[in-house]
Amino acid sequence: MTDETKGAAFFRAEGVLISRGVVHAATWMAAQRAGLRERAFRFGQAALAAPVFGLLGQNDRSLGSRIAHLAYRDMTADRIEVLSEEYVEDMLEDKILDSGVELLKKARAAGYRTVVLSEGISEIMQRVVERYLQGKRGVDDLVCNRLEYKDLKATGKLLDPIIGGYEGGRWAQAYAAEHGVDLRRSIAYAGHGPDLLLLSAVGKPCAVNPDHTLRKAAKEADWPVVDYSA
Amino acid sequence: MGAPISIRQTYEGRHVLVAGGSGFLGKVWLAMVLQRIPNVGRVSVLLRGKGRGVKERFEKLVNEGYVFAPLHEQHGEGLGEFVSQRVEVVAGDVSRPDLGMDPAVAERLRGTVDLVINFAGLVDFNPDLREAAETNVMGAVHVADFVESCAKAKLVHVSTCYVAGQRDGRIPEVVQPKTPSGRSMNAKAELEEMLRIIARTEAENESPEVDAHLHKDVILRLEGRGEPSERRIREMVTRLKRKRLRETMAQAGTDRAKALGWPNTYTYTKALAEYLLLDRADRIDFAIFRPSIVESAVEFPFAGWNEGFNTSGPLVYLAKTWFRHIPARRGNPLDVIPVDMVCKALLVAGAALLAGQAARVYHCGSSDRNFLPIDRLTELSALGHRKWLREHGESALHKVVLARWDAIAADPDHMLNIGNIRSVMTQLTRYLRHGLPEKIPSELQEAADKLAKETDTSNQRLRKIEDVLELFQPFTHDHYIVFECRAIDRHAVAEPEFRFEPESIEWRRYWLEVHMPGLRRWCFPSYESKDRELYQPRVPFVLREPAEPDAGATETAAPANDGAGRKPRPEKVTG
Repeated sequence: MTDETKGAAFFRAEGVLISRGVVHAATWMAAQRAGLRERAFRFGQAALAAPVFGLLGQNDRSLGSRIAHLAYRDMTADRIEVLSEEYVEDMLEDKILDSGVELLKKARAAGYRTVVLSEGISEIMQRVVERYLQGKRGVDDLVCNRLEYKDLKATGKLLDPIIGGYEGGRWAQAYAAEHGVDLRRSIAYAGHGPDLLLLSAVGKPCAVNPDHTLRKAAKEADWPVVDYSA
Repeated sequence: MGAPISIRQTYEGRHVLVAGGSGFLGKVWLAMVLQRIPNVGRVSVLLRGKGRGVKERFEKLVNEGYVFAPLHEQHGEGLGEFVSQRVEVVAGDVSRPDLGMDPAVAERLRGTVDLVINFAGLVDFNPDLREAAETNVMGAVHVADFVESCAKAKLVHVSTCYVAGQRDGRIPEVVQPKTPSGRSMNAKAELEEMLRIIARTEAENESPEVDAHLHKDVILRLEGRGEPSERRIREMVTRLKRKRLRETMAQAGTDRAKALGWPNTYTYTKALAEYLLLDRADRIDFAIFRPSIVESAVEFPFAGWNEGFNTSGPLVYLAKTWFRHIPARRGNPLDVIPVDMVCKALLVAGAALLAGQAARVYHCGSSDRNFLPIDRLTELSALGHRKWLREHGESALHKVVLARWDAIAADPDHMLNIGNIRSVMTQLTRYLRHGLPEKIPSELQEAADKLAKETDTSNQRLRKIEDVLELFQPFTHDHYIVFECRAIDRHAVAEPEFRFEPESIEWRRYWLEVHMPGLRRWCFPSYESKDRELYQPRVPFVLREPAEPDAGATETAAPANDGAGRKPRPEKVTG
């Protein structure tokens, strides 16, 4: 079965495959920094992202992402790598949504090219894919946020494109063009307001655990809505 | 760059004499030669001792050292024959003329040896000056004398990058014309001065004033223990005198070293040896090979192999304790180089020397080509311990709190420096032993005694580590030094397994997956006064006795040249 004949299955990681978001990861990372002062300061900084997500998250999540990831500022690549491993092993083990993983497996079995989109950073998400989503056997492509580094230290900035904003739909079109994917035959699972464009771009959209904005839009567009908590 | 050197072809049929081959570096080098250059002519290993003693010592080295484990695995019961065909053990001592060898053996070797590698060195940083002079300086002189008396031998003298002393910046691969303090160096005069210092210190120790002082000291110590016999007093005075001499000698060495700009006796004496060698540049063909801080192997004999009380070990060990302020300046490099990479570079330098293409000085380090700042190393150590403690921590306190304690690079004068911590622990031990009220419950007394014992043990351990940190402070904190490491690149190497490529070290992976597990298995036990792990071969190795010396001489000296400057492989030496 080829990409041209079947299309792709897009999965938004947060809310569909994992029940934890970037604020959790960023605050946890901040709490593991060297030095108590630094821990407290960065923890507070990352925690600020929570109300921002609360206020704006249903429309645009990129500002919240930017704020959350400021917690990584001046953190060394070594620390981020080692802590990401610990985070994925210890903190995400029981936060993986089995129902979402099942959807992923089914899509894979049905011959779809599977693509995971995430607001999380690559250091964490690559390990999530390897450890919980069967690596390359389960996921063809992972698209996630990437930290900017300078002299082996994170600057606290994210490299473009920032995943989480409204670019999802545009990105999906570009991806489809690059990989010869027929979007009309593609499916997408997502749960946040800003994922509307992504869901609109594919032939078979599905809202998973949607927030208020997306739930409303899904109802209006008559898209299937799935809710699960495990 | 000329045509690539083939290491195997260059060493084929060659006779190499190794002094100081029983150390960490020497053993890895020997194992590498035996495993990867089996066509080497002969390796004569000079070991201290006499007669059968050296043979047994060598067998013990090969049987108990994990460094030879892959050779055991590869050859099994054939190892005895395999090694005996290639290695002979020679009783000797570099601190003596003619390397302390039996005259007949020395004579035989003079005719046959192609290359001498002098690993011998006293690596104690602030030793008794007499011992440092004997091994590091006179040892090098005697080796050079021997090389000079040989028919064709060339010399690789293993020194250290840290002969650079208290300098800053990029250190070129040359013997610096001046001492680090800026004085011009006359090696002969300096050797004489060092011997004068030794003689003066000895004479001072023999003075009637010192005798009287020690006598008084002994009387005071024995006060209240009954009437001491004259003999007992004499014995104690003699013992104290010996101790005093060792201490004053160590101090004299340090003082002289510091006056000339070296941080310790080790680097001073190693540097002096280089200057003395340089005076013979017109008489012998030699190269000075300077490794930096030699640490765990990347891949040979296997990943993580390490041994002894090395340099980064104490730093890494400290990072796993409650002590968290490692004395180091952020951004300063710590020039660490894996032992197997050093052996490869050494083989290349030796081959270049044999081929007549060698440079005078080779640095063998990482700071120039793959910079590792000490603060990165400190953080990696803390992260490595964190990973380990999460799984192996003794208690929840270790798993949760100590794992996140995070060592950091800090100024040596920081309030929580190791000296202050030790001082607090000393006070605590003293209080637990002598400061508690006399009438306390026996359980409490027992607990106090136990705690006092523990704090005392920890204190002694910290003391050992503090000494090493203090010795390396000039390099980890006071000075920013990068050792230029380019000379080795002049020689293209045909065989990939002998190429020196420090750029290939991925420090995070090396530190967390190779070096720290290596330290944990091979070095930390000795810091904690535990027994080191010994290898137990399935079939113990036994070195065959060579035939009569003459026969040995015939076997190793006689091989005819094959026409390409190489000699055919020698026949089997049977015992």
